Amino acid sequence: MKKQLRKISSLLLVFLVIAAVILISSVYFRYISRRIYEDSTRSLDEIYSQVNRSFSAFVERNWGLLESWENAGVFSEDEEALSVFLEKEQAYWGFTAFRFLSGAGGSLSPDGTAESLDLGDALDTLKQGEPVMAGATLSSGKEVTLFAVPVGRRSYRDFSYDAVAVAYTNTDLAGSLNVDAFSGEARCFVIRGDGQVLLSTQAGGGVFSNYLVYLRAVSDLSEEQLAALARDWENGRQGLVRCEIGGDSQVILYQNLGYPDTIMLSSVPLSAISAGFLSVQKATTNVLLVIFLMLGATAVVLLLLRSSRQSRKNRLELQYRERMFDVLSNSVDDIFITLNIADKRVDYISPNIERLLGIPVEEARKDIRVLEKCTVNTDVVIPQTVLDTIPLNSSQYWEYEYMHQNTGERRWYRMTVYHMSIQEARKYIFVLSDRTVEQRMNQQLQEALTAAQSANTAKSNFLSNMSHDIRTPMNAIVGFSVLLEKSADEPDKVREYTRKITASSQHLLSLINDVLDMSKIESGKTSLNVDRFSLPEMLEELNIIVMPQAKAKQQDFAIHVHGAPPEHLMGDRLRLNQILLNLLSNAVKYTPEGGRIDFTVSPLPGPGQQYARLRFVVKDNGIGMSEEFLKTVFDPFSREINSVTNKIQGTGLGMAITKNLVDLMGGIIQVESAPGQGSCFTVELSFLLPEQEEAASWYRSKVTRMLVADDEEDICLSIRELMRDSGVDVACVTGGAAAVEMAVTAWQRGEGFHVILLDWKMPDLDGVEAARRIRAQVGDQVPILVLTSYDWSDIEAEARQAGIDAFMPKPFFVSTFWETIRPLFPEEPTAEAAEPPADSAGVLEGRRFLAAEDNELNAEILTEMLDMEGASCQVAVNGLQALELFQSSLPGTYDMILMDVQMPVMNGYEAARAIRACGHPQAASIPIVAMTANAFAEDVRNALDAGMDGHLSKPINMDTVREMVGKLLKEGKRA
Amino acid sequence: MKRIRLCLCLLLAAALLLSACGRSDGAGGVTLTVMGKASDLGKPYLTRLFQLYQDATGQRIKLISYEDAEFETRAARDLAEGRVPDILLHFHNADLNRYNVAADFLYLEDQAWISDLTDSALAYCTDSGGHLLGLPFWESSVSGCYYNKTLLDRLGLKAAASQEEFNMLCQVLAESGYTPICWPAGGCAWMPQFALDPVFADDPDTLDRLNRGELCYGDIPAVADFVRWVQTAAESGWFGKDYSSTGWDDISSQLSSGQAVMTFIWDTWFYTDFTGGTYTVDDFALMPAFMGTAEEGTFEGGNLNMMMVCKAGPHVQEALDFLSFCAAPENYNAAFDGISTVSCFRGQTSNIQSPMVTDAQAAIAEHERVSTAASKIVGYSAEDVMDALNAMLRGETDAAGCVERMDNYRLEEIALQNAGT
Repeated sequence: MKKQLRKISSLLLVFLVIAAVILISSVYFRYISRRIYEDSTRSLDEIYSQVNRSFSAFVERNWGLLESWENAGVFSEDEEALSVFLEKEQAYWGFTAFRFLSGAGGSLSPDGTAESLDLGDALDTLKQGEPVMAGATLSSGKEVTLFAVPVGRRSYRDFSYDAVAVAYTNTDLAGSLNVDAFSGEARCFVIRGDGQVLLSTQAGGGVFSNYLVYLRAVSDLSEEQLAALARDWENGRQGLVRCEIGGDSQVILYQNLGYPDTIMLSSVPLSAISAGFLSVQKATTNVLLVIFLMLGATAVVLLLLRSSRQSRKNRLELQYRERMFDVLSNSVDDIFITLNIADKRVDYISPNIERLLGIPVEEARKDIRVLEKCTVNTDVVIPQTVLDTIPLNSSQYWEYEYMHQNTGERRWYRMTVYHMSIQEARKYIFVLSDRTVEQRMNQQLQEALTAAQSANTAKSNFLSNMSHDIRTPMNAIVGFSVLLEKSADEPDKVREYTRKITASSQHLLSLINDVLDMSKIESGKTSLNVDRFSLPEMLEELNIIVMPQAKAKQQDFAIHVHGAPPEHLMGDRLRLNQILLNLLSNAVKYTPEGGRIDFTVSPLPGPGQQYARLRFVVKDNGIGMSEEFLKTVFDPFSREINSVTNKIQGTGLGMAITKNLVDLMGGIIQVESAPGQGSCFTVELSFLLPEQEEAASWYRSKVTRMLVADDEEDICLSIRELMRDSGVDVACVTGGAAAVEMAVTAWQRGEGFHVILLDWKMPDLDGVEAARRIRAQVGDQVPILVLTSYDWSDIEAEARQAGIDAFMPKPFFVSTFWETIRPLFPEEPTAEAAEPPADSAGVLEGRRFLAAEDNELNAEILTEMLDMEGASCQVAVNGLQALELFQSSLPGTYDMILMDVQMPVMNGYEAARAIRACGHPQAASIPIVAMTANAFAEDVRNALDAGMDGHLSKPINMDTVREMVGKLLKEGKRA
Repeated sequence: MKRIRLCLCLLLAAALLLSACGRSDGAGGVTLTVMGKASDLGKPYLTRLFQLYQDATGQRIKLISYEDAEFETRAARDLAEGRVPDILLHFHNADLNRYNVAADFLYLEDQAWISDLTDSALAYCTDSGGHLLGLPFWESSVSGCYYNKTLLDRLGLKAAASQEEFNMLCQVLAESGYTPICWPAGGCAWMPQFALDPVFADDPDTLDRLNRGELCYGDIPAVADFVRWVQTAAESGWFGKDYSSTGWDDISSQLSSGQAVMTFIWDTWFYTDFTGGTYTVDDFALMPAFMGTAEEGTFEGGNLNMMMVCKAGPHVQEALDFLSFCAAPENYNAAFDGISTVSCFRGQTSNIQSPMVTDAQAAIAEHERVSTAASKIVGYSAEDVMDALNAMLRGETDAAGCVERMDNYRLEEIALQNAGT
């Protein structure tokens, strides 16, 4: 407010100074103008007074001249002498003409030429004896002024005259009166009292005939003024009048010429009079202008200096503030931008924009729209129209994800836009605050919530599925149990119902096992039981399990072994089997009838010499999986829901278990699939290689040449490669006929093959027929094996009849090969040949079991089932009772102890340890087999650790019991 | 009786027939062909003359007229192609270069009536070789500066007697709000010749040297004086503001309204083209034309049409007889009875002379000059001179450039004429 008052005061002061200067100048110029005008008119008056005096002298001189001539009696001389005299005088005085004038107006020149002259009133004056000055026009047309004096009547050339006169042309006369004042712009006239122009001193001025008439016609003088003027002239008064003629101001100055009715008049343009004033005015103006310019320049310089100082101060202040703000903004993760709305110019931008967004400051300053380039989702950039809606002194904010231009890092910023008015300039202030942490936290919370919801949903789905999946076999068990009770008298129905109850029970059991397995995995209690195992055996087992399932659905199932994977590995065979079986079972399950399933095993470059890395690929051309489901295929409790899968039983845990097991084994599992395009699961696992066993060498002297026939050349070459280390020379053919030819030819050369390996199914000639033909020509000396991936039981009889000695499952493994052909060389009888294979049938007959089982129903089932096998069983209701019974029994009372684990009073592990330590003669040798509902590896391990010899999972399967007893007997665990 | 009566009737019819034939081509039975401009041949004194001739001689006059604009071209072509009239009515001795004068026309200085011609008229009809080319028979006028004397009286002014006074008069009139001179730049091609007449009429040697190519306009200071005067007059407002768009038709209105006070024209114009308004013909008077060349001013004598006898005409002698008929005082006085014109013949008494001319008779006698520039300067074209002046007034060139243009135009015209011959 104070500043504004000071500003107004300054302006007022400037205004007053200017007004004063103008006023003083005006007064000064008026004064100068008046003075100059007065001086000019006075000067003009003086000039014309001088002219007047000169003219009067001129008139007096002419009159005096004539009078002197009269007095001298010149006119009394004779005509000739007079004529000579006048010519002489004319030449001397310069008058134009001499005239003798009669009182009647006639005139005569000295040469005798007569002419009439209109002299008007002048004649009367002459008659009165007064000299006159009068204008006249000669017969030649020349306008002249006559100066005449009366003389006594005389005659000249018979012309009577009363006066004599000399005449001057008005031009000559004007020349003698010329007034060269006011740059020649003044017009000077000699006029009569009535305004008649006698002569003009100006060249061309003769066109004026009557100046009063002229003024009346062209000037702005009123009739009163003109009448006053006429009166002045008639009365011979002098005076001055100003008037406008043709737009120009004229000053008319007049005074009597000294003779009656003769006025000298001068008309001068006011501009000529004012020329001096104008000159002074111009000079004064120039001086004043220079002074003002100097003052103005000084003021401007002072103002500029002050402004410069202020500007510099402001600039420094601004720089200081900007610098401070830069420093501050550099220490925070907020970006500040000030945008001038009018010209869209960036006033300020904090330098941390380069650090935070990777945008150079200058680039952003040039065009703030460069920010849009950093926005991850450019569709959400704020349009100008939206900014325009922000009221003044208000703000609005948006949140955007920006990507750092250099690092590509994405971060979330809250852009707050303030609409401000700063010094009447509208501005937007943008503040970009980093909200990445909050955003990510929110995102994680959201994801967690979603995951929780998803898990909840999955578990709900699982429970729903389980409810269905459990109820289904339970329903069958309950239903067929009821039917069994009612059909007890019908053995066929009893068997049929019993078989269905058993199947449903097995299915129910597998469900429970999966659930328990998953629960175990999820609880982190799963551990691996690493042991040496044979890969070929495992593959054969898989083949044995899967092939029937595939065959039941008319599917082609094949196992392929690429390369030379090691045949023995260290690992958890059971878990590996579980992984692969899960994949293969699913492949069979989700591949329609007539489909194809390929299981491929191939070695990968291992992590070291002690390790082998294998890739297992299960590929089918089944229904496949949607892309969406692929994302959750390994999640627990997830099953793809569609018309096909709905008809397939499952817990949705298989793949989750598989994935977890693979993870547990340090491997990876991948899947590629598309709806209708089948699926391809790839598992890669690393296995510790067992210590090398000494390879069998019995064949070295017996088998050195071998013929392999397979229509797939890769298999032939693979076998040759596998056999390279064995020192066996492998000849390969890709057809049955060729095999026959090569075998016969070699035999005929005496270089017969020691072993012939024929593929069963070859396009031209199958293996069986080829073997027959070879036998026909070569005889029975050479072992002939059939290599097949099919179940050969159907053709075994025919094949043996054709001369086939043995069958080998695909894929080909060296160890399997040697084990297969070893019996075919009698000189080296095999152990198996020495000891016939154990037959588990009847192994339970007569055996005596002590069973610890707290569940009365389970105890009864066990007792009945053993009884059905011809065995007897005494039941103890807990571990302690079992211990007591065993301790109190005579040696040989029991052949084996079946020990439930979870029992009151004393559990199975404690009881087993107690039995082993009880001192009974059979305490160390009696087989103790655990019976638990827990079928996990750690359960087995715990049982073994407790001193037990085996593990049977509930529900008890008598086949398993027989196998277990047979195995223990074989291992020497005999009661 | 009946046979006699029939014979008498046949004789009477034959006599009537012979009588008729004799009137058409008998003693007065020649038909003279007179070729001229349509507007010229319709002049009342000519009509009257032709009738008098036919009545007196029994000869016939056949008029061959062409539109004014195309007259010169068509007449020259007719003569060149053998369609030759007996008499050609031509505007004095100007622009005869289209014809082969010596071959096409009779010289008439041996005719008896030559002594009755006024000097002025004689000058107009004589070529540069002193041969009389035709009989002047036309309404003649005096050109000069015609001014509104009433208006000057009212302004307390009077006519100028010198160039200085004229300039002063113009200045004072301009100061008083009047247009001193009506100068129709779009249609006053005749005006410059008034200024140039004194230059060449007073100094025939200069004229001859100019025509011989020994001089050009640029070598003659008076020509430049005239051009500068025009420039000064225009710049000083003496021609008014709109002179460049003022044409022939505007002269009358500007003078009659009092808008303009003076103009350079001829007296008969006031009786043929001037339509009075605020001011009538009685308000005007004549003074010399002051246009920067002659200090005392100048008048230009009357412009005349003359009757030329074609050598190849079918009736040469009859044509000469016709001219003698025209030059007889009783005939020309009868023809010009009551016509306003200055006299071509010394014995011409029946015509009326305008008061303006009569009042200025003394000055005319002192300052009149024969129209020399237009008729004597070879290659002179009134339009070309005006074009050069207008170019200067438009600012396209200065006074010297204007004079140079005038020369260039003149030389181009000479070249054109030479090419034509």
